[in-house]
Amino acid sequence: MQHLADIPRWCEDVMDSTSPARFARRSLLRAAVLGRTEATRFPAVTMADDDAGTAEQSLMYTVTGRILDVSPHILVLLTDRGEQRFALAASAAAWRGGLVSPAALRPGDHAILRRSLPGGPVVDRIWAEVGRVTGTIIEREGPASLFVDEGPAKGRRIVMIPRAASGRIQVRFPRLEPGYLIDVIGLKRDGFLQALIPATAQPPYRAGHQPAAPMVSGHIPDPVSGTAVWHEPGEEPDNLLGLAYPALDPETSCEHGTFGPPSFSGDLYAVDPHATGFGCTRLPYLSVGSLLWLRNDCTERTRFLPVTSCGATARLFCDRCVTCGTSPRGRIADLTMAAFVELGGALEVGCFNATMMIGG
Amino acid sequence: MLTALREVQIPLLAVMLLGGCAAKAWRALHSRSARSAAAATDATGLVPLHLRRPAVVMLFMAEALLGLGLIGTAGWLGDAAPRLPATIVRTATALFFLVAMGALNELRQRRPDAGCGCFGDFSDTPVGLRTIARPGVLCAAAVATIGLPPLRMPSSSAEAGMCLAALAVELTLIAFLSPELGDLLVRLGYTEPCELQRLPVGRTMSDLRASSPWRRYASQVSTAEPADVWREGCWRFVVYPGVVSARRVDIVFAVYLQARRPAVRVAVLDAATDEILGFAGARESAVL
Repeated sequence: MQHLADIPRWCEDVMDSTSPARFARRSLLRAAVLGRTEATRFPAVTMADDDAGTAEQSLMYTVTGRILDVSPHILVLLTDRGEQRFALAASAAAWRGGLVSPAALRPGDHAILRRSLPGGPVVDRIWAEVGRVTGTIIEREGPASLFVDEGPAKGRRIVMIPRAASGRIQVRFPRLEPGYLIDVIGLKRDGFLQALIPATAQPPYRAGHQPAAPMVSGHIPDPVSGTAVWHEPGEEPDNLLGLAYPALDPETSCEHGTFGPPSFSGDLYAVDPHATGFGCTRLPYLSVGSLLWLRNDCTERTRFLPVTSCGATARLFCDRCVTCGTSPRGRIADLTMAAFVELGGALEVGCFNATMMIGG
Repeated sequence: MLTALREVQIPLLAVMLLGGCAAKAWRALHSRSARSAAAATDATGLVPLHLRRPAVVMLFMAEALLGLGLIGTAGWLGDAAPRLPATIVRTATALFFLVAMGALNELRQRRPDAGCGCFGDFSDTPVGLRTIARPGVLCAAAVATIGLPPLRMPSSSAEAGMCLAALAVELTLIAFLSPELGDLLVRLGYTEPCELQRLPVGRTMSDLRASSPWRRYASQVSTAEPADVWREGCWRFVVYPGVVSARRVDIVFAVYLQARRPAVRVAVLDAATDEILGFAGARESAVL
């Protein structure tokens, strides 16, 4: 049939999501054809009339950019709007491999700032050169060097574990061996991540063998609770507000990796997360551009966010977040760094307990 | 009577072996890649990763050979003096189940989270004592068949009834020792919610083109190919560019993802202003 041959023409290239005009329009078209406004889609959400059900694309709390200068009271940042100056709150704390004074940050560092008040000129948290690697260990060289597969969409990264952080990481990740999962936060270095903090506890199973989610009778519950994590921007803009969704429609998302014949022994351990089932949380199939409502249960901050990329690797992790209480098992959203900070998350913690409404 | 009970074991063992073989072969053939098959967490998890796929293939080949061998040597072929082929096959079957019992015990010690994989995807339940006891029972059944004369039809209805009763008791025992049965029954009665069902785009397009909203707007569609197709939960959306009264429009179809007679809705929007110019279609409630 002709239309089957046409599929690649409109399939969702994840890279395409960075020019979101086509995807942003989908919510409008959906509302038009189903005759449902977003306010009726999310009946449990109370909001001001002017922003009901829209993904507010501007960042209210978060600023991203490169540090040009820093003093004990002022930080100068090069952002996509040019050079911007921010006052540092008296209680301002910075993270650069650990908690440091803001004055210890270096010009040239890539930084994410959190404002004290929405749109305000004062910042109270700064993260510099923070990075994260989440995926399957496919090769280990010596005690400190790991080669990690982050899934077909993100590729592979090198993780170096310094001796000082080794004990801390191995307590939470006892099996640093090919075939097991890893999720670590650290400092971005040239060509690798210097792992410093375990972002979760290592699942006891091998990658791709997470327990199956319980079967669902009727429709999937909405809202759904679980863990929200963050990922590095990769090809996305630094200040993108959105999330990588673990269950993109496999028929239209072109999300499958190209798993050819193994070219080295580590390939045997790589896992295509799309081929491992739903994970331990059953989420409905959505597409890039779908609008979700997400709440950080720890800070009570909420936001409408669009799906901007494929987050299938999140399916491999059947973990809980214990930032405030214990979340249900399973990762429901893999946020961009900007969205994570915007919702009040602390990047060095790695997750927050989240509630997500898909809208019925 | 004892001979009749022993005779029942041969078809039973053959069915178990061929069933296990078919389930393993199905799993191996339907794995997305060599990697996923190789990384399977089952009894083959005891061998190094690069040997797992060959191990799976060897396993189901052995089961096929033994199953077919039991059937082939049950009659006249097994009657050749000194009944060596039948004895070899039945002894090999007993050894196979004995080794399987040891392997499962080892798997339970080393990988308590792993399923046995005895019946492919159905055997994901972690190995327990029941799973280990099952090959033990089958091993005993295989031992009981060694030295048995060629199979024959029951000589009387009483003997046939005895055979059937013995078969029923043994099947009940095996069912009790098989965690796969519970999973199978649950799966047979389960249907995924529409939000989780994979439905090919081609199927959606066929449903769309058979619908009355499509027939109504088809003449206004200006391209053969959709400009966009995406899915949200139970709905798949298809957008075609079109022309209505000399205005460039987007004609948006929403197709509910169900197997039979899906609801189809349509809306027409001005391509420049996004003003809604009209809509139609079934209005029954549906959940995303």
